[in-house]
Amino acid sequence: MNSVELINISKHFGSLMANDGINLKVRDNSVHCIIGENGAGKSTLMKILFGIYRPDSGEIRVNGIPAHFRSAHDAIKLKIGMLHQHFMLVEDFSVIENVILGNELSKGITLDFDKSRQAITGLIEKYNLSLNPDSKVSDLNVSEKQKTELLKLLYRQSEIIIFDEPTAVLSPVEVGEFFKIITKFRDEGKTIIVITHKLKEVREIADDVTVLRRGKSVYSVNRESLDIDVLAKEIVGELEPATALQKINMGNNDIAVEIENIVLDKGGVRKLDGLNMKLRKGEVYGVCGVEGNGQGEIADLIFGLEKYSSGKFITFSDLISLIPDDRIEKGMIKEFSVGENVILKNKNINIISKNLIAKTTSEIVSKYDIRLSDYNAPLQSLSGGNQQKVIFAREIELDNDILVFAHPTRGVDINASAFIHSVIISERNKGKTVLLISSDLDEIFFLADRIGVLYKGKIVREFSSNELSSKSEEDVDVLLEKIGKLMIGITVEE
Amino acid sequence: MELRLKNKLRENIISITISLILTLFITSVIILLIGKNPFDIFGIIISEVFGSGYGLGQALFKATPLIITGSALAICFHASLFNIGAEGQLNLGAFVMSLAAFYFSALPAYLLFPVVIILGFAVSAFWGYIPAIIKIKKGVSEVITTIMMNFIAMALINFLLIEFFAVKSTVRTEKIADWIMIPKLSAYFQFFQGSSVNLTFFIALALAFAVYFMLYKTKFGYYIKAVGFNETAAKYIGIKNNRIMLLSFLIGSGLTSLVGLNFVLGYKGYYEFGFSNNLGFTAIAVALLAKNNPIGIIFTSLLFGMLDYGGLTVNTVIPKEIMFVVQAVVILSILSVDKIVNNYFQSKD
Ligand SMILES: Nc1ncnc2c1ncn2[C@@H]1O[C@H](COP(=O)(O)OP(=O)(O)OP(=O)(O)O)[C@@H](O)[C@H]1O
Ligand SMILES: [Mg+2]
Repeated sequence: MNSVELINISKHFGSLMANDGINLKVRDNSVHCIIGENGAGKSTLMKILFGIYRPDSGEIRVNGIPAHFRSAHDAIKLKIGMLHQHFMLVEDFSVIENVILGNELSKGITLDFDKSRQAITGLIEKYNLSLNPDSKVSDLNVSEKQKTELLKLLYRQSEIIIFDEPTAVLSPVEVGEFFKIITKFRDEGKTIIVITHKLKEVREIADDVTVLRRGKSVYSVNRESLDIDVLAKEIVGELEPATALQKINMGNNDIAVEIENIVLDKGGVRKLDGLNMKLRKGEVYGVCGVEGNGQGEIADLIFGLEKYSSGKFITFSDLISLIPDDRIEKGMIKEFSVGENVILKNKNINIISKNLIAKTTSEIVSKYDIRLSDYNAPLQSLSGGNQQKVIFAREIELDNDILVFAHPTRGVDINASAFIHSVIISERNKGKTVLLISSDLDEIFFLADRIGVLYKGKIVREFSSNELSSKSEEDVDVLLEKIGKLMIGITVEE
Repeated sequence: MELRLKNKLRENIISITISLILTLFITSVIILLIGKNPFDIFGIIISEVFGSGYGLGQALFKATPLIITGSALAICFHASLFNIGAEGQLNLGAFVMSLAAFYFSALPAYLLFPVVIILGFAVSAFWGYIPAIIKIKKGVSEVITTIMMNFIAMALINFLLIEFFAVKSTVRTEKIADWIMIPKLSAYFQFFQGSSVNLTFFIALALAFAVYFMLYKTKFGYYIKAVGFNETAAKYIGIKNNRIMLLSFLIGSGLTSLVGLNFVLGYKGYYEFGFSNNLGFTAIAVALLAKNNPIGIIFTSLLFGMLDYGGLTVNTVIPKEIMFVVQAVVILSILSVDKIVNNYFQSKD
């Protein structure tokens, strides 16, 4: 039987059909992946299933019964839960407080904390979440925050759980843990829907897959008949010829940024603890590490936003582009349109006319293949991956000397990722300095000339280009494992 | 994309029309409750305001300082700086203008006017500088400090008047020379005969357009809005937030001084304690109603100017305070109707 059936769902924004007669059947007790290009309509469809948007037409059936949602509240009543990509937690509250917020078990007029605590610690143990229920959310890292969101859904006894790109923010080890958790959910009878851009992940966890393309459901397949190449083709319609750019060595490898023994404290916590790094012109330096080991502070330091207490920091240029780790909070003014966000950073422009905005937008949109419903729409109405592409485009177009890019392909589809990678390499080939911060080891391996492993505010091991250029697959696996260990603070024998 | 702008305009027109009808209705009920015939009252107001050049002129005269202060405040509000201190800022500015115009009357006109305006602007801006710097350095909310600064400003002016500058047994400064006075519109248009509306009205319009241009067409304006929307993002975009906040506070509070042109140079010829009659607060409502868009502020100011003068014309029949009630009802109904209309169109889109 199907827990969820979406029949002929349509939803438009302005003149754009975000969902155009989509059909989706999610079997009981299965993990169902939804995959598709940026702007294909995945998030929109899931927001419809969760009652946030109302469809223009079409039918929603939950456990076979037609459902009419007026708001998310109605969906929650049918035990549907959704984990959004952007967390909705109260930073000043503890994990427990966040979980019971809105689901209070009351004892008279006071909250029954004991009962809630029991329930929550029970859930943490059952699913092996390794989370301290009394930690303040502001002290948690991304993966722990995600687990807190998950606890909220479990506490409400959600049976159908929707995840919108849950793995985008996780490091490889954390992705593994996460998959164990959802497999467990499935095994005990829950139904799971996961949006992802990674074929590897689909192969690993999906019982069924549905592909959306330009607002339509174009392909569905189950685990047994899944062929990754076919799937890849269905996602984009036609495969673009691979345009893997070659790295060219320019010979000129002068030092562009020198970071020596930098110590940086923030809010009484040591964030950088004797950081040493030399970035060269014409290279990509990759920083590997579990989120929260000082990545954000390195970016802030180079961008000139943080004061360090000791050490030496020299940069040969102050023309610096930055893609911050949190695109919504730091990367953009979400109320501004695409063009406005781009122009905002252009130092040569002082007068902003409608024509200029339109011209800038159309240039960026065509050059970087950005999908949007309306040039004047606020950036926040674009799909997640398209927002990321706008920020990437803006930072590249500035033509700065130093590029500090945190997770440049986060939330971006396969084709666009390949495009972004080739742009990064071509920038490098022009002699620019790229600092690449990413939790995606494949990405770092593909792009970086050198790799530094960051742990507790310092580079604990640096891999030179010679070490990285050993090419056999086993070598790479050994290397990956080594880096994986270093990232979580295990020292490895050399 | 033109379509969207047209829709926006359509939404605004619909929501304002509905709110005005709603206001008319609620006000009628109130007037009925105090035992008067609403049709009579509205009849008087309409014929008084629109029936003569004088009435219309008076409404424009009342609207002028609202346009100035509303536009000035819009700058602060776009930066998410809630400047409640306009009342104090504009009083100090107008006060200093009156003194400058009186004491420097020996200067030739081409020097005198700039000096008067610059001094007024500087004093008002300084009054905004204090809360701005306290906010930037110490993180104290400008809402609290600007309110306090209002009290201090009024006490300071009171003290200076009584001790030094007031004409004996009055609360006003000396009258400035006639040649310094800004001409009344009636000097050019017979139509406005007798009304106090003066050239400052056009200055106010020009100011509103200038502020509009700054906020919506310049990089600086975008910086102001960016800081107002999200300080963290603005910082990462490379904007110097503190500088932008300081500048918008300085410009915003400085510009409020221009109301002195209307009252001191354009009307009485002197500064009089209490002349502003809560102008600094009404202007907040005027700006918010127009969603801080200076062109919209021209219209909301005209509406409030008409209500203000209209209230005076029916003063003999009903207490003129009824017009404050009307203003409040207008604010509430526009805000709520706007929300409803917006939602309606959003769900349809
Ligand atoms: N609130 C909105 N207003 C206007 N347009 C919207 C809105 N939400 C989504 N869209 C548009 O609908 C389309 C589909 O968006 P959606 O977020 O569903 O894409 P997606 O498949 O989740 O993409 P991604 O992989 O980038 O997250 C996009 O082109 C987007 O610009
Ligand atoms: Mg999405």
